[in-house]
Amino acid sequence: MSPALLEMRGISKSYGPVHANIGIDLTVAAGSIVGLLGENGSGKSTLMKILFGMVQPDQGGIVFKNKELAPGSPREALRAGIGMIHQHFTLVNAMTVAENVMLALGEAGFWLDRKGVAARITELSRSYGLGLDPESTVKDLPLGMRQRVEIVKALMREADLLVLDEPTSVLSPPEVEGLIGVMRKLKGNGRAIIFITHKLGEVLSVCDEVVVLRDGKVSGRTPVAGATREGLAHMMVGRTLAEPPRRAARAPGPERLVARDLSANDGAGLPRLQRSSFALRGGEILALAGIDGNGQAELCDALAGLTPALSGSITLDGVEVTAWTSGARLAAGLAYIPADRSGMSLVQPMSVADNLALRDIARAPFSHYGWLDRKGARALVDTRTREFGVRMAGSDAAIGTLSGGNQQKVVLAREIGRDPGVLIAFQPTWGLDPGATRFVIDTILALRDRGGAVLYISSELEEVLSVGDRIGVISEGRIVGVTDRADIDIVKLGLLMAGHHANIPAAA
Amino acid sequence: MTASTTIAPARLPAWRGSVALRVAQSIVLSFVITGLLILFAGKNPLAAYEQIVLGAFGSWARIVVGLNKAAPYMLAGIGVALCFRGNVANMGAEGQIAIGGLAASILALTCAGALGAATLPFALLAGVLGGVAWAAIAAVIHLARGVHEVLVTLMMNFIAWLVVAEILHGPLGEIDAGFPQTPMFDQVAWLPKLVARSDLHIGIVIAVLAAIAAHIVLWHTVTGFRWRLAGASDKASHYAGLSRARSVFGLMAVSGVLSGAAGAIEVLGVHYRLIEGFSLGFGFNAIAIALLATLKPLWAIPAALFFAFLETGALSMQRQIGIPSSLVLVIQGLSLIFVLCAVGRGARKV
Repeated sequence: MSPALLEMRGISKSYGPVHANIGIDLTVAAGSIVGLLGENGSGKSTLMKILFGMVQPDQGGIVFKNKELAPGSPREALRAGIGMIHQHFTLVNAMTVAENVMLALGEAGFWLDRKGVAARITELSRSYGLGLDPESTVKDLPLGMRQRVEIVKALMREADLLVLDEPTSVLSPPEVEGLIGVMRKLKGNGRAIIFITHKLGEVLSVCDEVVVLRDGKVSGRTPVAGATREGLAHMMVGRTLAEPPRRAARAPGPERLVARDLSANDGAGLPRLQRSSFALRGGEILALAGIDGNGQAELCDALAGLTPALSGSITLDGVEVTAWTSGARLAAGLAYIPADRSGMSLVQPMSVADNLALRDIARAPFSHYGWLDRKGARALVDTRTREFGVRMAGSDAAIGTLSGGNQQKVVLAREIGRDPGVLIAFQPTWGLDPGATRFVIDTILALRDRGGAVLYISSELEEVLSVGDRIGVISEGRIVGVTDRADIDIVKLGLLMAGHHANIPAAA
Repeated sequence: MTASTTIAPARLPAWRGSVALRVAQSIVLSFVITGLLILFAGKNPLAAYEQIVLGAFGSWARIVVGLNKAAPYMLAGIGVALCFRGNVANMGAEGQIAIGGLAASILALTCAGALGAATLPFALLAGVLGGVAWAAIAAVIHLARGVHEVLVTLMMNFIAWLVVAEILHGPLGEIDAGFPQTPMFDQVAWLPKLVARSDLHIGIVIAVLAAIAAHIVLWHTVTGFRWRLAGASDKASHYAGLSRARSVFGLMAVSGVLSGAAGAIEVLGVHYRLIEGFSLGFGFNAIAIALLATLKPLWAIPAALFFAFLETGALSMQRQIGIPSSLVLVIQGLSLIFVLCAVGRGARKV
């Protein structure tokens, strides 16, 4: 193998009590593609932010092209020849490809060299098969082409190492094929690539070596030749399970929430949820694992009535509610805890009391005939906050002054305090400390024990495994592999999460 | 992994004290700075301010002028404040006032014979409906075609001016008046006086009642809660089951009601006829008043009085000691800027 282009040695980084990176070593040779694999929160992002100088490591050093790279300086990293292609593009949509590239070049002096830049883009485009026209406007380009603009930006800056952060998550299958072709050509030209992904198939088809991160540590490192999907999936998710929370014996109830062939688009109009079906009974938790961005948000919003269902039907306690408003579904007993605590489920400048009333303001005791009843509301707010153990200065305090755990308790007090028949819980423990996480899970389990039906969606596999009565995976907009908790096969789950729906070994 | 390279804005030290105190400090500061400007111009600032005070409060007649001036400012300012609270950047009070005045005038001129004593309430109603209709056009364009509300409400103002001018130069214009205005209304359409044998009409009472009503709606009804929620977070109000279309329509309608009433009061209470440019700048003052009141309906009362008395006082100052009355614009502008700086965005209770 050729000499190392990049060497990251003993990188450690903690955020308070959370160890994001623990003694990570990563070596990338010139002209090679290294896959960086891991679940959400395994430390990939932090490691790459450290490489790019966006985050200062607590320990460890970076040697790039045999020179020590000053930590904490993106400018330095850029100048040294590290190019980062973010999942979310940093392009100006109203400008042309050439103009975007000129922006990226920065210190170009006063006069624009339009012709020169355009010629360079055309040349790069030809040699790497990018098919880019420097004069086309970015907003007219499909996502796959916009990504190529990002690649060209990095190439124009003469990057020798490209970091591609989940580049395929926004692409359609043919676009993925095209990107893999481009990556091979880049490699053939002596450039090195760090390829961040969750998808095992892509790793196996394009990488030379794979490094797997889990819980901030390198859990496996292997050349791709000889690696198997099962082996990689195990490195990614394999772990000893924590003691599962106490749960009462399960009494199968009636079907409460049924979705058939449900499809929905995201805010940008891209299809994210594709003909998904499930049936949820009272007294059970259906827990879905999955990498972020596989249609979870669209599934939850479509069920709650916040985004239209483009196909299929939703039945709540035997009544079809597909055309109902979110308010009508709420009144019929459908509670929803969204993932976005700070922006969606709570209003930061409003008081604890107002946030508790958020979705119930038009009902007693919060109001009567359109008039707010502050006294009646206060009584209920006091009861609920005591019941759910919300620690706060007072119910008039702005919700933003509460800790994350206490904020989520207010959401629970609102959504579960209503004693709903069905609860959709989307990443309800996101960003919480272990104590608050436990409280959330125990509260949801108690709802299930009372006969409530719960759809629990999380990208934390461990949590899904400990909470669910039935466990499945949401991947590429489909709900797949739903099985009873007794029959769980972790490797199979890992494969499903990584996008392998077909060719799953029957038994492992 | 997303790039978290947002640049934190440079933070000046926070301006401390209650919001009321900060507003008062801002106004004092604006007078001090304006005073310095007067000084540089070679005049005595204390004399100028004395003339402003005398011009505003020096006699009962002067006070009446100020109170009558404050009424439409207050009404329209409350409407703008509510819209801003609900995150609807309504710049259209100016046009809604003009159309409100026009609609009230048309009714007063054409139906006074048939309606008799009922002319006045119907004329006020016509003004309100005119304002609502004008606001509704903007709301529909904004919601149906996605045109930014600032743009559409602002542009509708110019159209409103031209509509009023067109009608005054055409069908409703007084023949041989030498100025674009309608004939005088029949007395049955005049707004009653608050105090007999003075020019003080009941507009200021209507405006104060509207401020109290707006305060009650905002803080004590489900509708008000929803407006505040719409202003605080789009995503959360969507999650709470509210539609933006409804809150935009509701708020624009309220603005139309209040601004339309402001226009009607001005023509029925002060001029007894429609005059070209009768409300010029009222709607833009209303925006300033709403901001000066930190979007609180009750605070629109002192804010509107401040603007109105400052303007009447300034006219007198110009007559007495020759300092241009446009100096008041400097005071208004500076106090507004200081209030915005002092109160900031985060200080407002939602």
